[in-house]
Amino acid sequence: MNHNNNFQQSSDGRHDDDAALTEFLSSLMGYTPTIPDELVEHYLAKSGFQCPDVRLNCCLCFCRIRLVAVATQKFVAEVATDALQQCKARQAAVVKDKRDKQQKDKRLILTMEDLSKALREYGVNVKHQEYFADNPSTGMDPASKEE
Amino acid sequence: MSDGGGESGSKHQQPHTKRKFSGDDFSQAIAKVAVAQICERVGFQTFQQSALGKLADIVVRYINSVGKAANFYANLSGRAEGNVFDVFQGLEDLGLDQGFSGASDINHCLASSGIVRELIQYANEATDVPFAYAIPHFPVVKDRKPKSSFLQIGEEPPIEDIPAWLPAFPDPQTYFESPSQNERASDSYTEKIELGKQQRKMEMSMVNLQRQFSESGPSSFVHGDSSKEKKTVESNPFLSAPLHFEEKEVSSVVLPAKLSKEVALQNPVAKKHVVDNHISVMETFAPALEAMKNRFCESREEQKNIQLDQRPPVQFKIGVGKKSLVKPLKSSPQNMDGGKIDPWFCKENENDERKGDLKIF
Repeated sequence: MNHNNNFQQSSDGRHDDDAALTEFLSSLMGYTPTIPDELVEHYLAKSGFQCPDVRLNCCLCFCRIRLVAVATQKFVAEVATDALQQCKARQAAVVKDKRDKQQKDKRLILTMEDLSKALREYGVNVKHQEYFADNPSTGMDPASKEE
Repeated sequence: MSDGGGESGSKHQQPHTKRKFSGDDFSQAIAKVAVAQICERVGFQTFQQSALGKLADIVVRYINSVGKAANFYANLSGRAEGNVFDVFQGLEDLGLDQGFSGASDINHCLASSGIVRELIQYANEATDVPFAYAIPHFPVVKDRKPKSSFLQIGEEPPIEDIPAWLPAFPDPQTYFESPSQNERASDSYTEKIELGKQQRKMEMSMVNLQRQFSESGPSSFVHGDSSKEKKTVESNPFLSAPLHFEEKEVSSVVLPAKLSKEVALQNPVAKKHVVDNHISVMETFAPALEAMKNRFCESREEQKNIQLDQRPPVQFKIGVGKKSLVKPLKSSPQNMDGGKIDPWFCKENENDERKGDLKIF
């Protein structure tokens, strides 16, 4: 990829960084983030971040929104990855003595426990009530539930 | 990404549907879907509803804080609109917790910042996963239709000082009267209507009564054979005794007479009935009257005649009609074994007395 090459050459000088940045910004136009533009636009407008005219859909405004969308997606992906690592580590620790149930418990579930641990690293303190309980059947297969 | 089984999902959804939807629910739902998609790509198979909701909330907050920080930096450099570098600076602010390469250098170039590099790297590595649904632009702002001006309507403004391009006035009756006046007017108006309704009701009931009696009265007379009636009346000791009936008659007769007359005047049809009845009544009682005339003493007779003439036929018939239908069966045995005057029955029996008077003589 061109970007990677640019990234490797970035130590050469400031000029390469600028070139990489402009290329990245222009490549944002062709990139469709999972977080929809409309959502980002809505919340950016709510926070007071002004775009000259949204209806014109000008390149610069679009760039900004896309940039925030990509940044947000990156943030969520990082948090999710951390939570996944937490989940895997927890399962590896617990299942040691219960080898039989391993098949059932192997499903990777995004739980509050893992999420709050992952978010703590990002400066978000998630505290839920002591006895707050999700549905115990969460993450189970509907077929296994019927059994 | 599955929701951990259909049942639990539906259970979780129920309170949402019952709750009244606020304006932000739509965007929050979109955020949830987007977060779920990202989580699925990371490697999660299922999720707890609360965890997903929490993460979606944090996403919304993240966007908000990025926007705020970017706006702050734009304002700091004397601009109202933020640009890409303001966003980068805002992202750096938010990334300070995590730390990034080059954060310690205050005077570093933004383009060579660690945040930017990471972003570029992520954008290059990540595969395009577009959002699952097509989303319309929101929030939808309903554009108001302006009121048409005097020019558009084609009217002349009422006062010269008002230019024609201004919006036209509403209809004059909407603002001509003050609210208090309006209230009073409407009150009196409703009162009038109610009064009229009541009057009409009364009239109608009176007319109906008369109609009933005009229909049932003569027939009852025909049915109840005069001889039979006479027998029952004669055998009734209570009725046979002449009492102070003149005084009672006056009190009981006067009011209904007026009403019936009025009604008769107002309603020509009813009047006809009344007249017809009057004739029929007079005809039916003709022999009795004749007999009475012959037998009774003159002074008494005169009184009677006058009273009979004065007495409105309708009222008279009311009593008779009722009694002829109901009374003869009921009252005769009672009176037979009772034999004494009960004050409670005075009013009811007045008519019977009268009838008795008529038929006895």
